[in-house]
Amino acid sequence: MNSHHTVSIVMIEDDEGHARLIEKNIRRAGILNDITHFTDGTSALGFLFNSPDGPALNGPALVLLDLNLPDMSGIDILARIKADETLRRTPVVVLTTTDDKVEIQRCYDLGCNVYITKPVDYESFAQAIRQLGLFLSVIQVPEVEPES
Amino acid sequence: MARSDPSSSPASHDQLRRTLIRCLAVGFGSLILAALATAWLTKRSREHAASVTHTYEVEGAIAALRIPIWRSEAARRGYMITPNPAVLDVYRDASGQLMPTLDRLAALTRDNMRQRPRTARLRALLTQLEAIRAASIRMVGDGTVSEASRAESIDASVPILLEINRVARAMVAEEQRLLAIRAAREAQSLYAFYVALTVAGVFLIIVVVLTVVTLTRYTNDLRASRDQLRALADSLEDTVQERTADLSRANHEIQRFAYIVSHDLRAPLVNVLGFTSELEAATQVLARFVDRVEAEAPVLVTRDAVAAARDDLPEAISFIRSSTQKMDRLINAILKLSREGRRVITPEPLDLAAIVADIRATLHHHIDAIGARIDVNGPLPAIASDRLAIEQILSNLIENAVKYLDQGRPGRVVVRGRRTNDHVALEIADNGRGIDPRDHQRIFDLFRRSGVQDQPGEGIGLAHVRALVHRLGGRIEVDSRLGQGATFRLFLPTTLTEPRNPRS
Repeated sequence: MNSHHTVSIVMIEDDEGHARLIEKNIRRAGILNDITHFTDGTSALGFLFNSPDGPALNGPALVLLDLNLPDMSGIDILARIKADETLRRTPVVVLTTTDDKVEIQRCYDLGCNVYITKPVDYESFAQAIRQLGLFLSVIQVPEVEPES
Repeated sequence: MARSDPSSSPASHDQLRRTLIRCLAVGFGSLILAALATAWLTKRSREHAASVTHTYEVEGAIAALRIPIWRSEAARRGYMITPNPAVLDVYRDASGQLMPTLDRLAALTRDNMRQRPRTARLRALLTQLEAIRAASIRMVGDGTVSEASRAESIDASVPILLEINRVARAMVAEEQRLLAIRAAREAQSLYAFYVALTVAGVFLIIVVVLTVVTLTRYTNDLRASRDQLRALADSLEDTVQERTADLSRANHEIQRFAYIVSHDLRAPLVNVLGFTSELEAATQVLARFVDRVEAEAPVLVTRDAVAAARDDLPEAISFIRSSTQKMDRLINAILKLSREGRRVITPEPLDLAAIVADIRATLHHHIDAIGARIDVNGPLPAIASDRLAIEQILSNLIENAVKYLDQGRPGRVVVRGRRTNDHVALEIADNGRGIDPRDHQRIFDLFRRSGVQDQPGEGIGLAHVRALVHRLGGRIEVDSRLGQGATFRLFLPTTLTEPRNPRS
């Protein structure tokens, strides 16, 4: 279980409110991993690929991704992650309001690991996030070995 | 493109008709003139021929009179020189023919006032001649004639004969004069005939030329307008295609807009609802705290704090929540509509009776509970359309009918159908509370409802139905009065042929 604590969660979500609600409910589920929050795609990509603390260079991570971002589509970020030799094993949970079937299929085709539609009803929303937290507490995330 | 004045074509058509009728009239007139002239000339020719014959007959009769005169004269003279009874017979024979021949001449010239005195004169002269001759022959027969008187008797007839000759010549001359006059008249009438014929011919030629020119011009006009029509029809087809493309593009854009807007509206709503729940949780914590403080240290508690924690905050939160939930339902309705509009429709043969039976089965418990009935009157027509859309339309309409029944009487919903040309007409009639005619348009609008608001709903069902009916290429109308039930009529194409795909 120790290794789980080292897994950092990267949350890419432009809506501050959603981010706060997600974080609150993840914490309520008992997940204490670091959560790094980005509100736009560019800085998120910078962190993922280039930051010394980022998953590409430092340790395993899990990405929580919203598809509607101000500067780019979350799908582009997903494609970049899954195309990268180092990051492609990083689990990506798409957590978004879009429930369009075509969009969902596209995400899975690109290698998304879990697709969750944000329920508008708060009880369901909180429930979904807490279940995601439980899920996060049991999944095994592969170690990322930085290329030397 | 060159466009002729649209009002000119019927006018030119009228003008053409008038011109043609005039030409025809003139042509017929000319032909009648020619026929009349010919008939008249024929009559004149016959008259002329008759007059010529008459003249020759008169001349013949005059000549025929001369022969017995001279023959009898010759015989008399011969008898007087040598009294031979055979010669006397010749004389008698010849002089016997004189009067009948003169009668014939008189009959021929009876109508001529100039000839009549002449024939009378001839008759007198002949009688005189006869008398002289008879006297001379009697003398010879008696033997009382002397040599001197013989010669005298012989020549006594000469002045009368000369006079007869003169009168006869005058008669011939008169006939010749008449003939000449008639010939002149004949020439005149021939001339008149030629003039009439020429006039008729000229008219006919003018008519023919006019007719040909008019018809040619008209035919050219017709050809020009036909070409123009064809060009217009072609361009119209293009325009229609263009407009249709524009419309479906606009429709697609609206669908897309509705989808994006309703979708993006949901994101802030998640926050509102989420933080309202957080607020509620926090309020409960606060309320419990106020309770505890009230119990343990009542001096610290103010009335405002108690009211805020127990009443104001929960009330505000419950209003925020109910409003936001309603907003969420509305947004979901728009989302559903736009998604329905974007769905690809697939026509297939449908059994309407089975669909209605399914809907009735799902409503079974409810209608049993309120004592209502749903009936299908007669067989429902066959239709090929999109199954999901038809099911939604019928179930919405039937559910509405059941929902708004009149409490005062046992509810009855009747589904009827018939086929008209290439359309299927479906009727869903109920004996429910009815719809005010002022609201007949409104009820098909999104979020609009009619009548007493005693039933749950957002005003989405009929808007959805109308959108679906339009999508299937049909139309819907309602016939209803307050308190007298409602009849919804659907007109759908029998076979949905061209599924419009808004994504394409």
